[in-house]
Amino acid sequence: MDLFSNLLLGFSVAVSPANLAYLLMGVFVGMVVGIIPGFGPAAALAVLLPITFGMEPSGAVIMLAAIYYGSQYGGTITSILLNTPGESSSVAATFDGYPLAQQGRAGPALVMQAVASFVGGTLGVVLITLLAPPFSQLARSFGPPEFFLLVVMGLSTLIVMIGSNWRLGLVSALIGFALGTVGVDLETGNSRFTFGSAELIGGIDFIPVAIGLFGLGELYYAFYSGLHVSGSGGIVQYQKEKRFWPTRRDYAESNGALARGSLLGFVVGVLPGAGATVASLMSYSVEKSVSRTPEKFGKGMMAGLVGPEAANNAASSGAMVPLLTLGIPGSAATAVLLAAFVLWGLTPGPLLMAVKPAFAWGLIASMYLGNMALLALNVFAIPLFVQMIRLPYRILAPAVILVCTLGTYSVNGSIVETWIMFGAGLAGFFMKRYGYSPAALVLALVLGPLAEQSLRQSLIISRGSLSIFVDRPVSLAILLLTLALVIGGVIMRRGRRAYT
Amino acid sequence: MRAGFQLGVLLCAGLYSYYAFAELSWLSSAGRIGPAFFPRIIGLALVVLSAWSLAADWRAPGEGVPGGWRAAALLALLSGLFVAALDVLGGLLAMIAFMAAALAVFNRGRWLQNALLALALPAGMYLLFKVWLNAGVPRGLILPF
Repeated sequence: MDLFSNLLLGFSVAVSPANLAYLLMGVFVGMVVGIIPGFGPAAALAVLLPITFGMEPSGAVIMLAAIYYGSQYGGTITSILLNTPGESSSVAATFDGYPLAQQGRAGPALVMQAVASFVGGTLGVVLITLLAPPFSQLARSFGPPEFFLLVVMGLSTLIVMIGSNWRLGLVSALIGFALGTVGVDLETGNSRFTFGSAELIGGIDFIPVAIGLFGLGELYYAFYSGLHVSGSGGIVQYQKEKRFWPTRRDYAESNGALARGSLLGFVVGVLPGAGATVASLMSYSVEKSVSRTPEKFGKGMMAGLVGPEAANNAASSGAMVPLLTLGIPGSAATAVLLAAFVLWGLTPGPLLMAVKPAFAWGLIASMYLGNMALLALNVFAIPLFVQMIRLPYRILAPAVILVCTLGTYSVNGSIVETWIMFGAGLAGFFMKRYGYSPAALVLALVLGPLAEQSLRQSLIISRGSLSIFVDRPVSLAILLLTLALVIGGVIMRRGRRAYT
Repeated sequence: MRAGFQLGVLLCAGLYSYYAFAELSWLSSAGRIGPAFFPRIIGLALVVLSAWSLAADWRAPGEGVPGGWRAAALLALLSGLFVAALDVLGGLLAMIAFMAAALAVFNRGRWLQNALLALALPAGMYLLFKVWLNAGVPRGLILPF
């Protein structure tokens, strides 16, 4: 009963005309962001964060969250039509989506990916509705050791599962932690690494760093890869087709994959650090292994498209669980969402749902409506997005640089931060080229202060003994889960290497 | 080039660690864990791992993904000049100059299209940030916008 009344409260917030308008704006922008290769949700959220300063908090977060999950829908369109994933989580959609388009079945593939995204996304929100309250209750018993281990779990999962080199991933995370130590030490009030600069006393704001790494860095890398010459990467496999709608057979072949992908995606999404990319690749492997015709995968199997698609959308919903209930983001994009929460004085964590129920449930309710809007947008606005894909990258990139630069400046009106963004852009380019992990850096920069504070508090409580991390049952459970995830990640990487 | 970047990371890690050991105290005045505690752990781990990565790369060198340096360097140079011009020319003029230069370099030969875009996009952006959002846009030395 409590659940229904909370959900009703959430819908009453989400359906206010202003919030509905922000939601629709968010899902449309998310779709566009997903379509643009090299401009991911993390950069888009960081750039658009300053734009939301004048808004009411619920509306702003509803819009930013819609951009986040909307980008998962859009990223697949380019995977199917161009063989170029708009987001890393849409890589798996190229395996069977593009062959389907080459066979003249772009229409059914696009509709089925929209249906899969809707099913995955909506099932994910249903699971958030059911699981977030008990998660919040559980998290209220967490102390500093548990929070420190959760940060470690998120980062180690991200490092082991994403990227090609765990050592460079770890170096990236440590750089993020190091940047997070700049400024005043909250426990003692001492200045650290400020070198007398007044601008650095407040620390390095992660917004310019995120915009630089994911906005400028990705654009430089796209130009380095020649995307400005080849358009968005190839020939758009789409024309107005007679057989636009999927057949009954398509739906019948996809039912199992939809259910498996959604559940797997949600579970992976809840684990901090794993995220949508891992979920979609895992789902593809699962679908191939359970199929009676695995040899057809990679040649245009609908199950190979819809399974990963449902998984990445369910994962993006699942990632909201640790964010809302623990205040621990699992990816760079959710780290920016966390910053948005904090900017409006809404501290995500165990008490958020109890203290700000209208806000928390309003956000959850808006996700139901957002997924419906995205389904309609995906099916009926396909020709519009096909036109957007044809927009030349050489024109798009300078326009995005304008948004990044002005967006960064407008946060604090600081030219120093604009230079930090530019420096982060250069660093992001080299990091991407040489196999480092910009996502790990940003996540560590955001979580660094929490990690340091909780580690220090843990050691003060235990009088310097590390046994506090194994003496407490919840800490021990998180530690064991982290070990299992790291070992699982290593096995998965080896499997992926052998597969390729 | 990759080794050079890794060497740069190692050097920065060394400087960070030096500062953490030389300038920050291990214990606070109250005898508790001090401001150097976390930076020293991070610094040492960063030095060890960067050196390990460099050594591993030395044994099996890799140059990363091949591509076109010229276009990326040009875009980086133009965006760096754009940031530098913000305080001098002001937001609007710097945006127009950046768009005109970037389109002249990367979208060659389409002069009319480039001219229209170089004027329309910055004007739209200025209206969005300055007028609609009431956000700060850098002021120039000569003109106030």
